[in-house]
Amino acid sequence: MLPATALALAVLAALLAWPVPAALSRARWPRRDPVAALVCWQAVGLAGGLSIIGALLVHGLAPWGDSLPEAWWHWVTRHPAEQPVRGDHWVAQTLAAVLAAELLGVLVLSWVRTTRTRRRHRELLELVVRPGAATSPAADSLLLEHPAPVAFCIPGARPLLVLSSGMVAELDDAQLRAVVAHERAHLRERHHLLLLPFVAWRAALPVLPAADRAHDAVRDLVEMRADDVALASLTGPDPRRTLAAAIVAAVGGPGGTVPAGALAVTGGAVAVRVRRLLAPAEPLSRAGRGGALCGATALLLLPTLLLLLPALV
Amino acid sequence: MASLGELERAVMERLWAADGPVSAPELRDRLADRGLALTTVHTVLSRLEQKGFVVHDEARPRRFAPRATREEHAAELMSEVLGQAADRQAVLARFVGSVGDDEVRMLRALLAGADQDGAGTR
Repeated sequence: MLPATALALAVLAALLAWPVPAALSRARWPRRDPVAALVCWQAVGLAGGLSIIGALLVHGLAPWGDSLPEAWWHWVTRHPAEQPVRGDHWVAQTLAAVLAAELLGVLVLSWVRTTRTRRRHRELLELVVRPGAATSPAADSLLLEHPAPVAFCIPGARPLLVLSSGMVAELDDAQLRAVVAHERAHLRERHHLLLLPFVAWRAALPVLPAADRAHDAVRDLVEMRADDVALASLTGPDPRRTLAAAIVAAVGGPGGTVPAGALAVTGGAVAVRVRRLLAPAEPLSRAGRGGALCGATALLLLPTLLLLLPALV
Repeated sequence: MASLGELERAVMERLWAADGPVSAPELRDRLADRGLALTTVHTVLSRLEQKGFVVHDEARPRRFAPRATREEHAAELMSEVLGQAADRQAVLARFVGSVGDDEVRMLRALLAGADQDGAGTR
């Protein structure tokens, strides 16, 4: 029973480490339904970690019992192993522990580091920004004196929304409202929390191309989601065009561009955003969305069941 | 009672306005309209030192000076915001990232041509 479980989990882990993320990042439906796609990515990340650590644990603890919960209990209570314990069992146990510690440790570390950087940015902003400099369409935002058209928000317990004077000069009121609505959507839906695990695991697993892919896809999807939320709150004749014009003005202003070659990181993501605003595709059908969400659920259930089911039958 | 953040800003304003390093009692006098106790001024100064905004010399009494101008701090912040640090988007959500000149031209063309042809393939 146990070796088959370990093998199945290992196969699942391999699928989630390469073909599944590759297919999901190539697929075109996510830009029609960023929410469903974000759910899928979170499921891929969680199921991937669960299955690889699970596979190692199941194999490493095999001598102690027929199912993982049972073997785990015997191992924790220092029961003698039922079968001879070979070197590869110890290796698998150690790898499982190291991997689990690394994934969780890097997650905590990223969280601490981003929190610290945010605090530093907040301190600098409070120092640099003159109070009472807010502008009409974005009454509660801070105005930063700088010619580059920049807007950003700093999430956290005390979120801040910042517009540069270059941004205010470059955009009209309707466009500014669109920008503010977009940033506010990030804050309200806590997009930084969706992105954080992928930032952490890309740092933890630099050899895994899927970690890169997943990070970039999630980063782009939260932007699309924020665009969608912003559109819903905008009034005016053509909010889609307003938001698209705001994006183009923001990248085209002074200081908005970087020398070619220095980027390639965001290459194309902005264009995708502008295209889906100007020429919106049909939103995903209910069946399509249901399918994506079922797939995500199945992805999470599969390793969980593989780990727990042998104990129940 | 003014908030500490607001006091910090007021102290920085005075330090930036001063010709050179200023001692804490001098600073209290310059903030006379607020009626601050000297200990409060010291508290604010040490907080600002912790944050790296203020430095002091070894004269007696100590004199305090800003580490950088307001513009330099603004530039420091902007270089991080505009930078390409790997986890930048996790730290702060920027409206759009930086793109190359070619892409800006392409995006402008896209926006201008949106009325005739919108079917974006890839």
